[in-house]
Order: sequence, then structure tokens, then C-alpha cells
Amino acid sequence: MTVTDPTISDPVMVDEEETRRARARRIERIAKWVLPVVMMGLTLLVWDRIVVWNEIPHYILPGPRLVFATLVEDWAMLFDALLVTLQITLMALAVAVIGGVGLAVLFTQSRWIEMSFYPYAVILQVTPVVSIAPLIFIYVENRMAGLLICAWIVAFFPVLANTTLGLNSADHNLRDLFRIYGATRWQRLRFLQLPSALPYFLGGLRIAGGLSLIGAVVAEYVAGTGGIGSGLAFRILEAGYRLNIPRMFAALFLIAATGVVIFAGLSFLSHMLLRKWHESAMQGST
Amino acid sequence: MITAPGLSLSGTADIAGTRVFGPLEMRVPAGRWTCLLGPSGVGKSTILRTFAGIDDEVALDGTCGADDGAPLAGRVALMAQSDLLMPWLTVLDNALLGARLRGETPDRDAARAILSRVGLEAHSDKKPGALSGGQRQRAALARTLMEDRPVVLLDEPFSALDAATRARMQDLAAELLRGRTVLHVTHDAAEAARLGERILLLTEHELQTVAPPDTPMPRAADGEETLAAQGRLTRCLLEAA
Repeated sequence: MTVTDPTISDPVMVDEEETRRARARRIERIAKWVLPVVMMGLTLLVWDRIVVWNEIPHYILPGPRLVFATLVEDWAMLFDALLVTLQITLMALAVAVIGGVGLAVLFTQSRWIEMSFYPYAVILQVTPVVSIAPLIFIYVENRMAGLLICAWIVAFFPVLANTTLGLNSADHNLRDLFRIYGATRWQRLRFLQLPSALPYFLGGLRIAGGLSLIGAVVAEYVAGTGGIGSGLAFRILEAGYRLNIPRMFAALFLIAATGVVIFAGLSFLSHMLLRKWHESAMQGST
Repeated sequence: MITAPGLSLSGTADIAGTRVFGPLEMRVPAGRWTCLLGPSGVGKSTILRTFAGIDDEVALDGTCGADDGAPLAGRVALMAQSDLLMPWLTVLDNALLGARLRGETPDRDAARAILSRVGLEAHSDKKPGALSGGQRQRAALARTLMEDRPVVLLDEPFSALDAATRARMQDLAAELLRGRTVLHVTHDAAEAARLGERILLLTEHELQTVAPPDTPMPRAADGEETLAAQGRLTRCLLEAA
């Protein structure tokens, strides 16, 4: 093909346009990382200056340097507390996945089971865990079991709701195809409904990851000092009683960081599982 | 391959108290390509679903089945407008889906051979999302062939493809499905004129048989007889509306 229009065929112009677009893309890619980091640095600086210039005492608002120093100094104790909280969070998440997916499968297999139990799932979800937790700790002897139950109550619902939705949204045409193939109920579940539900389930899992951390922290607050209560939330309470505000900030930082890591990890898992076939994770799809 | 049976359907059908088609009397000859042509909304797809046995919502007052008396279940394959591929399986695994559901050992070599017949040998390990619309329909055709059913039901499988891809798919399907009883639902007069060895025209009022061109199918898209038949069919559709 020959191009006769000189304004279009000018290779230099096209190249310039291309280069400009590539540069814009590169800048955006860098800015995505640099901007939040710069912002964070600025925030820390302002925080530090406010504390120093106003001579705010450390038992009211510690500066970021003091918080960091406390984090390093109390690392052994805080790290142990982190492990306790993390253990409860991950166990609750695991139980939430097993319970949520299991119930969702039961619900889609039988309308009767769904009708009977779905209202209770909603009731558990909408009742604030803080208000049930004291009862749970009265009836459940084992502190660990009590903490797990609390965290589970908070975390299982998004898994249940999303997986149920996913199992029910398998393409109707594909269901018809499975009928023509004479697939059994189990095969339909295994080869059609569960894979169809995977993107929905992973969406629920990301929410549940954050919620199980919240559940674990709230449960620790309610459970107080008894038994194994030495997670991060307990450390915050304890430091509060002692007016050790820098340690409160340090523990708070660890909880927030844990939440971010959990979210990032689950997002990565979701991306890896879906990137080959699901539109939400595929790149360059039209 | 087991001998392909003919199909027959007679009676009326309702969905939730509303008449979808009929009363009609329909025969699909054995081992031939029959096109069921008609405007949208006259019950073409319902007829297909009835033959496929996925017609729970349809109340059929009449009979439907194979003319050899044996049940149709297990002898029918379906290709639809959407490719019906599992997006999480590779093209190869999609072709092997039926075998896997029947608990058979998947015959990967046979599947690869069929995939190369439809020109997808280079794409057998890709997911459907990485293929073009035409390639996906070829994968669906490969799966249909893999199933090796004597009766093949086609529900406008080529209507979403561009003209050239559609013509190529029609040739390929005509070649590979030869000898089977094919019931091809379409609203495209040109497609019916190219492929139909028997052409049924379904309108709101009646089911009529239109004589196809005498030449063997697949006919050239620009053949004189094909174009004449296409014109006749279009006129019938216009008059029926």
C-alpha cells in the first residue's frame, strides 16, 4: 500500500507522537509509586514538625521518630503480639473460607436449606460482633476458640454471599450444555459452578481478609487480659493504661501494616488465579 | 459412526401459558442438512431446545423425537451463537470436556487431530479468551466433532462472525458434519441458501418447505442458483411478515 498524503506519511511526526505517548505512560507508571511515597514522607515530616515546634509531650502525641524508636525497642514484645493476632486472623480466615464456601454449596444444592438458614447468616452478619463477643466469652471456656468464633462471625459472610452469587451465576447456556452431556449434579458443581464462582469467591475473600483482622482485634479487646490475651489489641489496651502512647502508635502501625499485607497478598493470589481467563484480571483484552 | 436418525416434531408448545409455536408438523430427514429459517421470535430456538431435551420451561402438547423410536438423549450435540466454551479451560481441554464428564480417559491425540482439522493446532493450549470469535467457533466445532453425535443442532452458530469468517466456517462445518442429521436454525436467508439440503421456513402462521437449489451444498455464495434461492427465501420472509 502506498500512502500519498504527505502529512500522514511523515515518519518523524508519527514517531514524535509515539514517543510522547510512551513518555506519558512511563511517567504515569513511576508516579503511581512515587506520589504515595512522597505524600507519606511529607505527612511524617509535618507530623514531626508539629510535635517539635509545639513541644507536645510524648504522652499526648509522640513524634514519628519516637514511634519508630519504640517499634525497634519493643520489637520482641510487639512481634510476639503480632504473631498471636496474625494466628487468630489467619485461622479465622481459613474457617471463614471453609464455612462460607461449604454453606454456599449447600445453599445452591437445596432451596430448602437456603430458605431455612440464610436469614440466620444475615442476622449473624448484621449484629455487631462487639455486642455478641461478651456472651461468647461467657459460654466458651477456651479463649482461643472464643477469639476464633468472633473473628469468624465477622469474616464468613462476604465469602458466603459472594460464593452463593457466583455459584448461581454460571452461564445458563453452559448449564444447558452440561445437561446435553448428561452431567451429574456433582459434575455440574465441580466443573461448571465452582470455576464460575471463583472470581466472585476471590472478591469475597479479599473483603474477608480485612474483616477477619478486624474481628480478631475486636475480640481481643473484649476478651481483655485473661488467658492468652497478648495480641496486638491487648498490647494497645495495656499501653493505654500505662500512658505509653508511643507503644500504642507502634502497635497500631503493625496492625495497619498487617491489614495491608493481607489485602495485597489476597489481591496477588486473585490475580494469579484469574489472569489467564477472567476479564477482571486479563491484560490487553478488548 | 452410528447411523443418523431423522427427527420429527408435531404438536403445539407453550411457555407459561403463551403459545410459542404450532400446531405444526415437522420432519428433519436423516443424514441431511436441514435449515430452519424464520424471523426472530417464532419459536425456532424453542424447537431446537425441545429436540435437545433442555426444554423444562416448554409445555409440549404433541410428540418429539427420533424417527427410529429410540430416545434422543445422548445422541445430540449442540452449537450455539455463543461458543459455549469454558473460559478457564484450554481449547484442548474444552474439546475433551464431554469425555471427562463421561469419566472416560481423555483421548488427547484424537482431540489434537480434530483441532488440526479445524485449523487450531497452534492454539490448543490457549484459553478461549485469547482467541478471535471465528477461532472460538472453530473450537466449538471441534468439540462437537469430538463428541461424534449423529444428530447436531446448530442455533445460529455463525451469526456473530464477520462475512468472510462466516463463509469459511460454513464450508468447514458443511464438510465436517457431512452424514449427520443437522438441524440448523438461522435467520439468514443467504446462509440457508448456501447450506440447506432441505429448507423449512417457519413463520408465525405456518411451517412451509421451500425447495433448495439443486446443486450440492456447500454452494458458492455468489452462485447463480444460491443467489436466486436467497432471493426467493427473502421474498417469503417479507411476505410472511
